[in-house]
Amino acid sequence: MSGTDTVDRTPDAEPSRTADSKPARAEATSAERASAAGQAGNLAAGQAGNLAAGQAGNLAAGQAGNPAAEPARKPGGEPARTAPATAADRSPEPGRAPEPGGTPAPVFSVRNLWKVFGHRPDRVPGSDLAELTPEELREKAGCTVAVRDVSFDVRPGEVFVVMGLSGSGKSTLVRCLTRLIEPTSGSIAIDGEDVRSMDKNALRELRRHRAAMVFQHFGLLPHRTVLDNVAYGLEIQGMAKAERRARAAEMVDKVGLAGMEARRPGQLSGGQQQRVGLARALAADPEVLLFDEPFSALDPLIRRDMQEEVVRLHRDEGRTMVFITHDLSEALRIGDRIALMRGGRVVQCGTPEEIVGSPADDYVRDFVQDVPREQVLTVRRAMRPATLGEARGDTGPTVTAGTTVAEAIDVVARDGKPARVLDGDRCVGIVDFKCLLNVVAGLDGPQRGGRLEKAAA
Amino acid sequence: MSTTSTTPTLATAPDTARLRTLLRRPAARKVLALAVAGLVLAPFAHAAWGSGGWPHALSVSLDEPLRSAGDWIVDNRDSHWLFLYFFGHISNVIIGAVHLVYVVLLALGWAGVTAGAALVAWRAAGVRAAVTAVASFAVCGLLDMWVPTMRTLALMAVAVAASVLVGALLGLAAGLSDRTFRVLRPVLDTMQALPAFAYLLPVVLVFGIGVAPAVLATVVYAAPPMARLTALGLRSTDPGVMEAVESLGATGWQRLVTARLPMARKQLLLGLNQTIMMALSMAVIASVIGADGLGDRVYQALSTVDVGAALAAGIPIVLLAIVLDRTTSGGSDGTPVRRGHPAVGWALAAITAAGFLLTRSHDWPRGWTVAVTEPVNRAKDWMVDHLYSGIPGIGGTADWAAHYTGWVLDPLRDGLQALPWWGAVLLVAALAWAIGTWRTTLTAVLSLSAIGVLGRWGSAMDTLSQVIAAVAVTLVIGFAVAVAVARSRRTERLLRPVLDVFQTMPQFVYLIPVVALFGVGRAPAAAAAVVYALPAVIRIAGEGLRQADPRAMESSTSMGATGRQQLLQVQFPLARNELLLAVNQAVVLVLSVVIIGALVGGGGLGYEVVFGLARGDLATGLVAGASIACLGLMLDRVTQPTKGARDAR
Repeated sequence: MSGTDTVDRTPDAEPSRTADSKPARAEATSAERASAAGQAGNLAAGQAGNLAAGQAGNLAAGQAGNPAAEPARKPGGEPARTAPATAADRSPEPGRAPEPGGTPAPVFSVRNLWKVFGHRPDRVPGSDLAELTPEELREKAGCTVAVRDVSFDVRPGEVFVVMGLSGSGKSTLVRCLTRLIEPTSGSIAIDGEDVRSMDKNALRELRRHRAAMVFQHFGLLPHRTVLDNVAYGLEIQGMAKAERRARAAEMVDKVGLAGMEARRPGQLSGGQQQRVGLARALAADPEVLLFDEPFSALDPLIRRDMQEEVVRLHRDEGRTMVFITHDLSEALRIGDRIALMRGGRVVQCGTPEEIVGSPADDYVRDFVQDVPREQVLTVRRAMRPATLGEARGDTGPTVTAGTTVAEAIDVVARDGKPARVLDGDRCVGIVDFKCLLNVVAGLDGPQRGGRLEKAAA
Repeated sequence: MSTTSTTPTLATAPDTARLRTLLRRPAARKVLALAVAGLVLAPFAHAAWGSGGWPHALSVSLDEPLRSAGDWIVDNRDSHWLFLYFFGHISNVIIGAVHLVYVVLLALGWAGVTAGAALVAWRAAGVRAAVTAVASFAVCGLLDMWVPTMRTLALMAVAVAASVLVGALLGLAAGLSDRTFRVLRPVLDTMQALPAFAYLLPVVLVFGIGVAPAVLATVVYAAPPMARLTALGLRSTDPGVMEAVESLGATGWQRLVTARLPMARKQLLLGLNQTIMMALSMAVIASVIGADGLGDRVYQALSTVDVGAALAAGIPIVLLAIVLDRTTSGGSDGTPVRRGHPAVGWALAAITAAGFLLTRSHDWPRGWTVAVTEPVNRAKDWMVDHLYSGIPGIGGTADWAAHYTGWVLDPLRDGLQALPWWGAVLLVAALAWAIGTWRTTLTAVLSLSAIGVLGRWGSAMDTLSQVIAAVAVTLVIGFAVAVAVARSRRTERLLRPVLDVFQTMPQFVYLIPVVALFGVGRAPAAAAAVVYALPAVIRIAGEGLRQADPRAMESSTSMGATGRQQLLQVQFPLARNELLLAVNQAVVLVLSVVIIGALVGGGGLGYEVVFGLARGDLATGLVAGASIACLGLMLDRVTQPTKGARDAR
């Protein structure tokens, strides 16, 4: 169990892991854990943590790293997505020193970001104009608010999904991160560095080396071959031809396009073109990958393939990703955390389980109502407290706390008996037919009651 | 005009309803407003300045100041610093460059040039283009036109190089800066609508007669398409790709060189092609102001109605046009160039080298020529005797020409000249406003007034009558053929190569066959104009009709529409913009040839330019040239719907 919960780059971190007996937390990052280990007094692990923090998502580290990384990312063939990652949830866990500012330094830190299009946009944020409806604002000031007072952090190594319907401002938001669209107000920091105050050169360096983007319509150069398209970013950086071609060939191979190097984008299918786009973004070895609805233009089957490709890449390399989508199932499938946008605002930000299990408002609830809850929610949500006898007993089936309800149903149905939910060695609860079915039926959780009351009122 | 304005006064109850439905159409509303304005203003205009041609009181004679300016330039050309240190240098550089190219071409020898051309054509457009090049140059030599061909080629090479340079720079500026584009675009559009003759006089004023002004006029005429297409190409690059390139951290220069320019390749090549074709066209016409070469031979031959000599010089022009077009349009349509075996290239290179080394006489061998002048002239004489008149039943070509002149052109000209000047202005305004926007209307009215102010009302109406008649003929024939082309794939396949060839030929050569057929006068000019404008009209209208939304066609078929109903109720309305564009092109192209028609007795404004040049009376020529420009502008704006309407939206 404990061997699978960390993504450590060095064997030196091993002792700290054994001391840490909490369940698998796939979304926690090497840097985070390593820094915890450092506080625990392990100097070597602390160094490893620094290294990992500096190169979070670094390809070489990812490849050369401990093979243990893989099972941590993917227990049971699915990306593990278990305990919520908020600091509050983490504090009672044993073995972890209480950390001041327990979250690791975020890759992107966005605060009060606004983007207003139109005439004299800077007078809108913070003024009375911001309170108007979009129609009134367009009428009165000739402005459209695309991003409205948005704040969030993207943590190292996570897949941060921004989801919303078209026109919700999500594409504008992701473009603001590297200032492809100039934000109107607010602050953006990458690794603590202020993006908005960067001059042209610094910004160019940021785009070249630290944040690469994958676009919905691919944005490939039609006159170049696949290989030259992938090498394009490196060419712009001034890399020598032989070197960049070798590197591009490696990337083409990685995204599964080996043998198609000499084709042109026009000769590829949509999915293949997007693989080229992905390879081009990967070639620069960026710290963060930004995806702008990368699979929306693809057929459903190919979309599924590509999603798995991204999941695999993330599992292999642990690179931080910001992923824009309008597709809820896609967001749930690949996101560690999801920010749901509406009308330029973030209406809820949390893990898939939080979004589905505890929608912040009716809009989110409507949004997620068709989601197969049993595939997203875990047994933590379904379980009832164990009686003393049940907790002590060591017979009957067991499931870990990170198991989804669907998997638990499988276990319980096979054995015909309630299953004990284990958090490490400790039994934290029991799931039986009734509590599992409650989740499927949507009768679980306090929110449900709240909603009913609201509906009654 | 009066009929529209009397309708409301006579309106009875059912008429009011009809009027109301009529008024719902914006065009009708505009025309009605103009008619009312005309009714109010016309009596004043009549009272103040009369109702004949353009009133003298409103015209300004520029002849005197222009004459004195011309004299001053002639007097100071050898002494004033402006000429010595600026225009003089430009002129010397151009003459030197043309001479250099000419000497190089002669030094290469006929074999070297032919094989070299074949090599270039093969490289750029494949085996067929190479064969065309070899055959064409051989024919040039056979017709004993080697030296004039080389002279034209030398002049063109310099003019094209300069045009491409100027055009590409302007296009880059307009492609990268919105403001430059907004300023440049209407200028370029207008320049493309003006007849070539309008550009000749200003350069003559400054540089006199000779090779340098010919090259400069050619550059002015040929650079706009390059600039236009470069700008359009740079502007039409996929914004998604540009964003992706920017997201990778490309600098402005890298964006331009690695993404924008390569993606605009197709338009750049098309611009090059158009520039070369227009340069050839102008280089031939510029013989009027001293460009030697093939154009000069045609010009001399036409002035003595020596059809044989004109044809001998005209054929090389056509062949040159075909070779240049085939060679430069090879890579632009995206299909891979068929070059055949690479050995072909080596063979061509070897022949080039061998030709260069072995040909003793660099000129085309004396004995290898075919004299076509005599037989052609004999054939022409036979035609004059047998075809010009007296064929039972159908008359003869001269009879037709006489009928066309007497029954169509003369009444039309007299009518236009008798039209009160304010009536003409109102008519133009009504037409322009009904089709376009208030902006085009204003330009059209101002251009027409400018002609009057310049004192060329009478000759402008003469030219206008020729244009209107020829445009009418062009449109009737052109639309009929376009309908046929749109209905049948086979007709389209048959016509396409013919149209291709016709569209590449310079305007000037159309004058040769019409002189042979109709003699001199306004009728042959009109015939040349019709033949010149037809291919473009057929092509644009045909494509417009064929591309009518297939779903609309299908649904009308499913409702049982007859072919005629489908044509009138579905295809024509759907192709409205293309048809109007075809009309616009017809007007512009017809005008350009009607003006050159002065060389075969067309009269009108073009004649005044030729006359001014021949007599050294630059003032007359310049004013006529300016009037031509105004007429071209007016005709273009009157018939310009799409752009104005689209911009307004």
